[in-house]
Amino acid sequence: MQSILRNYIRRHATAATRQNSSVNASEISFFSKLSSQWWDEHGEFAFLHRMNPIRMQFIHEKVREMDWEDGATSEEKISRRSALDGLKVLDIGCGGGLLSESLARQGARTLGIDASEANIAIATLHSQADPNFRVSSASPSPSNLSYRQISAESLLAESGPEQYDVVCSMEVLEHVDNPADFLNSCAQLVKPGGHLFLSTIARTPLAYFLTIFTAETLLRKVTPGTHTYSKFVNPGELVEYFQNYPTSLTSKATTTEAEVRGMIYAPLRAKWHLASRTASLWGGDLVNGCNYLFWVRKPNVSPSQ
Amino acid sequence: MASTRHVPFRLLKAGRHALRTRQYSSARVSDDCDIVIVGGGPAGLALASALGSSAASNRLRIVLVEGGDLSKVHGWSLDSDVYSNRVSSLTNASQSFLRDIGAWSHVEESRTCPMEDMEVWDGVSDARISFHASDVPTTGSTEGQQMARLTENLNLQRGLLRHLKTHPEIELIDKTKVESIIRDEEEGQWPLVKLANDRILRTRLLIGADGFNSPVRSYARIPSYGWSYNTQAIVATMFHSPPSLYQNSLHTTAYQRFLPTGPIAFLPLSPTASSLVWSINPPELAQALVASASQNPSVLASMINAAFRLPTVSLKYLYDVVMDARTKGVAIDGEAITKEIRWREESHGIDGNSTYASSSTQLSQGMPSLDAASLPPLVTSIQPGTVASFPLKYNHAETYLGEGLGARTVLVGDAAHTVHPLAGQGLNQGLADVECLSKCIAEAVANGGDVGSYTALLPYAQERYIANHTIMSAVDKLHKLYSTEFEPVVWARSVGLEVLNELDVVKSAIMATAGAHSSKTTNSADAAAGINNGWSVVAKGFESYASTVKAARMASQGAVGLIGGGLEGIGRIITNLSK
Repeated sequence: MQSILRNYIRRHATAATRQNSSVNASEISFFSKLSSQWWDEHGEFAFLHRMNPIRMQFIHEKVREMDWEDGATSEEKISRRSALDGLKVLDIGCGGGLLSESLARQGARTLGIDASEANIAIATLHSQADPNFRVSSASPSPSNLSYRQISAESLLAESGPEQYDVVCSMEVLEHVDNPADFLNSCAQLVKPGGHLFLSTIARTPLAYFLTIFTAETLLRKVTPGTHTYSKFVNPGELVEYFQNYPTSLTSKATTTEAEVRGMIYAPLRAKWHLASRTASLWGGDLVNGCNYLFWVRKPNVSPSQ
Repeated sequence: MASTRHVPFRLLKAGRHALRTRQYSSARVSDDCDIVIVGGGPAGLALASALGSSAASNRLRIVLVEGGDLSKVHGWSLDSDVYSNRVSSLTNASQSFLRDIGAWSHVEESRTCPMEDMEVWDGVSDARISFHASDVPTTGSTEGQQMARLTENLNLQRGLLRHLKTHPEIELIDKTKVESIIRDEEEGQWPLVKLANDRILRTRLLIGADGFNSPVRSYARIPSYGWSYNTQAIVATMFHSPPSLYQNSLHTTAYQRFLPTGPIAFLPLSPTASSLVWSINPPELAQALVASASQNPSVLASMINAAFRLPTVSLKYLYDVVMDARTKGVAIDGEAITKEIRWREESHGIDGNSTYASSSTQLSQGMPSLDAASLPPLVTSIQPGTVASFPLKYNHAETYLGEGLGARTVLVGDAAHTVHPLAGQGLNQGLADVECLSKCIAEAVANGGDVGSYTALLPYAQERYIANHTIMSAVDKLHKLYSTEFEPVVWARSVGLEVLNELDVVKSAIMATAGAHSSKTTNSADAAAGINNGWSVVAKGFESYASTVKAARMASQGAVGLIGGGLEGIGRIITNLSK
């Protein structure tokens, strides 16, 4: 397995340019070293594997909810096997492809991008073992999952804005150098009426205690150095960022919709739970005080609204 | 697809085959599957049924592989007055699961029998407990007043197969053994299932519903621990007179007597037929009884009647007669046994007309005696060809999920656990496994997950391992408590008061599992919690039993005058029991 992987990386290794504003070179090399462990469900990324179902649940719920709010009573939308079926979805910082594979299985035409070439190699290799995504001569349709080694900024420059129905960037924000620029790139890639999903860690003493002190230092479940406390982002800061988002991009906007949902890890069940929507009413600081999901919808410019 | 609908157990359609095959370096061709279920027994068929009726089946390619001929099971048919010898008591929880997946309507309900009452008593002390369906907290209205429903295993399996015919998207491959299971070393280390017809299935998830000697478990390198009980169970279908007009018009009572050699159970199937499950230690005695039945079935009928009625000291003598004939290789004289039993009844002071007179010539004519309902009806004959015996085992896999090199595997039913049949829980546990696993799979599919991943299957293992372990250890303790020959424990058991305590344990065990849950109102986690609570009552019952026995022992030290060694011995036994 390891030697296949090394050969694969060697074959696919290409000189990549990295003059992007938000990509942090040391973070990229750090995760490249860990890349072979992405799919070890008992290893370094076990927490992410277990987080994946509730990320998907949240994405699914929000997209479906907005479909209904938009008055999607058409046969076409109801009969779809999932709310994501046929949507164009971008997963920024896809890592080994944990989320990308799930999105693609739900029928989304998914592009996973990552600045680390080792991650892209792992993600591609893993998806090729799975008949759901395998591109073969016998298969009549091309796979709806693809990967590219590229940064969000470069992709935006290359393809232009407003390309994707859904843009996801999970557990990435806390690893980038310039969060404001990064968020701007993410937001620009979203089509009007489309969705941006983020997940990250709040900058609170609780988050420091759980993610850095407990997971890295005490239990060594996560390699020390994975997280940097000062890079954590509070939910309020995200909400504020999008409230003040330049109006040129959201020209005919009436309101910007956003939602924050905490994720709580239950160690005894080894399972993540999505906090209920009303949780922030009674204990928002605690519930959203560590890992949380964030959703924001780009206002729909269409006059039919 | 519609064109293949009427073809039973079709092989893979050629077109689909070409679409999904891939070439291996060694020039072999494999089919890509999402789920391969190995084993077409009740658990495997129920799992295929459950998956077929869930939305997951639209997105997954599911194949079931069975070595035997499923068309025989599908075509199984018996006259209405004869019954197969393998019968299970399906709890209300199991029935509502089967109803939910749409399989129960394919089970021939007229061949099943509700169990409304149960009589359980101790063979040594005759301490007795009776309970009724009304004691069982039912939440579903459809279940009515029953504790469980006695169902022939073949009736259930045939019903599941009939249900699967309505789901042609699930492929059934029968009469085909699994030759070997290896890892796909080239890509992803997925399991490759090589069939006897040279087909190779490459699968995302491999499910072992392949019984006690599970090849899937060996492939996954999952160790299991267990032991043989040094006990054999005899099964048979028994015929008897219908209940008299003065009694309940339907025969819906189950009887179980705990003998020092093991429990004997009488399970109702119809007004004139019942099923026998008789666990016997030592196994030689069971074999001798089976041998005697093959020479003269009336001997077994007499022995069954005696086993429900005579004091254990006389039973011991009768066992010796049977064993003696076996070692000498001579046939037992049916007349002589009947005579012996009659003589023993007389010497025990049993009136020839009482219910306890097994050799009574009076067969439900006239007014039955007041205690008629406390004993099963007299067996008049045994259905030919139904006497069989099998060894009893306790076995539990160390985990239900394969890891590392054995990844993408999961065990259900007997492949995961084998339990003593005294509480009738084996099949119900398997069905509960299947219900939980199919929900896990459906949830993973709904979230775009990989159904073969450890993360997707973990909730199944977490929920079922603990639930099964609790049930199994309680049943195991129950067995050990009753089968021990150790003097002080036998003495303790013979003291009526303590025995009543432990019969309460039997009662809560049965109540806990019979406690119906209507899956429409209760989710599986709550149901599991309910079962867990019920069985932890059982476990607690044992603790209190142990302490009661200790107290009784202390109180009677002077009077009984047990010697030191004996005291230590009982302490050890009790500690083991309550562990």
